[in-house]
Amino acid sequence: MEALRNAFDFSDSPRVDLVIAAMVAVALLLFPLFSPSSFAIATIIQFFIFALYGMGWNTIGGYGGQVDLGKAQYVGIGAYTTAVMLIRWDIPFWVSMPIGMFFSITWSFIIGYPLFRLKGHYFAIATIATSLVLKDLFEIWDFVGAARGLEISPIKYSPPDFLRLIFKQDIYYYYVIFGFFLLGILIINWFRRSRLGFQLRAIKDNEDVARSLGINVHLSKVKTYAIATAFVSMVGSFHACYIKNIEPEDTMSLDISILIALMAMLGGAGSLWGPIIGAGVLIPLKSYLKEWLGARGGLVGIDLIIYAAIIMVISAREPRGIWGIVERVRRRKRL
Amino acid sequence: MPILDIRHLVKEYGGLRANDDISFTLEKGELLGVIGPNGAGKTTLFNCIAGLHPVTSGRIFFDGQDVTLKPAHEMARLGLARTFQVYTAAGDLTVVENIMVGCFLRTRSRKDARRRADGILYDLKLSDHADTLVSELPVPAQKQVTMATALGTAPRMLLLDEVAAGLNPSEIDDIMTSIRHIHNEMGITVMLIEHVMELVMNVCDRLVVLDYGHKIADGTPADIAANAEVIKAYLGERYVKEHAGELS
Ligand SMILES: Nc1ncnc2c1ncn2[C@@H]1O[C@H](COP(=O)(O)OP(=O)(O)OP(=O)(O)O)[C@@H](O)[C@H]1O
Ligand SMILES: [Mg+2]
Repeated sequence: MEALRNAFDFSDSPRVDLVIAAMVAVALLLFPLFSPSSFAIATIIQFFIFALYGMGWNTIGGYGGQVDLGKAQYVGIGAYTTAVMLIRWDIPFWVSMPIGMFFSITWSFIIGYPLFRLKGHYFAIATIATSLVLKDLFEIWDFVGAARGLEISPIKYSPPDFLRLIFKQDIYYYYVIFGFFLLGILIINWFRRSRLGFQLRAIKDNEDVARSLGINVHLSKVKTYAIATAFVSMVGSFHACYIKNIEPEDTMSLDISILIALMAMLGGAGSLWGPIIGAGVLIPLKSYLKEWLGARGGLVGIDLIIYAAIIMVISAREPRGIWGIVERVRRRKRL
Repeated sequence: MPILDIRHLVKEYGGLRANDDISFTLEKGELLGVIGPNGAGKTTLFNCIAGLHPVTSGRIFFDGQDVTLKPAHEMARLGLARTFQVYTAAGDLTVVENIMVGCFLRTRSRKDARRRADGILYDLKLSDHADTLVSELPVPAQKQVTMATALGTAPRMLLLDEVAAGLNPSEIDDIMTSIRHIHNEMGITVMLIEHVMELVMNVCDRLVVLDYGHKIADGTPADIAANAEVIKAYLGERYVKEHAGELS
């Protein structure tokens, strides 16, 4: 009960933040009614997806300071569980999604348990490695389509199919993921105010001190990693139904993992709104750059250079991202 | 039964014996000071007791229970809290949030943790700073916050590692007031490491002196100040002459 109350309690956020957040939420709610282009809708769906990935990453990576560069493996587990179950046994999304989460969390315990014995950079590298190994496995595993991947063909179903999450128009996907997005905010708000959230913040600051305050550092990290994983896996399941065509190279690539971490850090790791802001900046940039560059074949790859430049500027000027700048300006005004 | 019983404790770092066959006991309600020159092994002793570093040999009993190789988080749960010599408190968190981290050891409820933290803030006269970021506080207040955070875990015994280092005389007075409050009012057994002799001689019931990893003396402040070996190793002739009147 108290957990539920905490999830809805934003009283420690300044009122202007809440007013802005509410305005943005209403704008996002009404946006599809103004018959926007399908490109705009697709871009905003990508924003929701990556905002959710970022929120999940933020629990362990932001609040806990454990830089995780392997989130794509859980996108993959979620997406593949949902796709395989739907294609082979016609199991609906609302059943396969929690099962995918269960698989993801199980996998997160298996690798998190040893990985969290590692420190700092070693942890980051190890997460990349496990993610790549899993991707390679999926590439040779025939049951899940190996390198060809899987295709959910919509003609077999009669959209709109709310159970299987098969729709013809993107607008349905838009509202489903919007619902997840709002739910995600509530979960993160619970997390940051919970005992576990406090423990992770203490761990980020100094592990020896955290231990001396009675925190089982290893266990707290493993638990939080599972929460992060559940988020990503859930959205991975959604991704499968939305994209309908998944293959290891796209779904589980290192790019995805890096983009997730990058976005959260750009917006502000360890803050409630940071990952959302990060996705809000980078996803439109990425979409429009891709579209603009699509016409100029020779410039492929320049988007990566732009991201690298952004992250360099951010980390040199304000390691706590855009949200860090906001907070600093605010504090200066108060003093 | 003593609250703490240390028997033949040895701690080696590589070839270095930072603690060498140290034994002593501490009764409930005592206020013990640990003194000695730099590098004598005082912080090492705390790290061993608190379970942060595994001892090389010897035994440690806490409240009658053998806790020799218990990890730090379990020691905290058993009722042992500590502060750190060089560490202040989590700078990104506000004062009250820092203390809540400690309080969460005994409760899952945020409301409960907040209530306990407010009580400790009040006791240590820190209420005005509750919502300030620790990094924005002056150093003396930060030291008080580290004590408050340790108190958040509701300990039976508290280890303080040089909480008065670098403070001016009036700030030292404030710290002494806080230590006495923790000891007398809250009824917590205290063991403290300190180089500030004024504090040690004024608040401690008893002193243990370390030198090169050995315990070289154990007794009341007056005994210690008169101990030839301690004077030679640590206090120095000048200290004893200057304070001759106060100690007898
Ligand atoms: N983690 C460690 N690894 C290796 N050597 C250590 C470690 N901790 C302490 N030492 C060594 O053990 C010896 C005792 O150090 P310790 O920190 O216990 O001294 P101290 O009495 O607390 O000194 P000070 O008054 O300067 O704080 C020193 O020689 C120190 O270099
Ligand atoms: Mg020391």
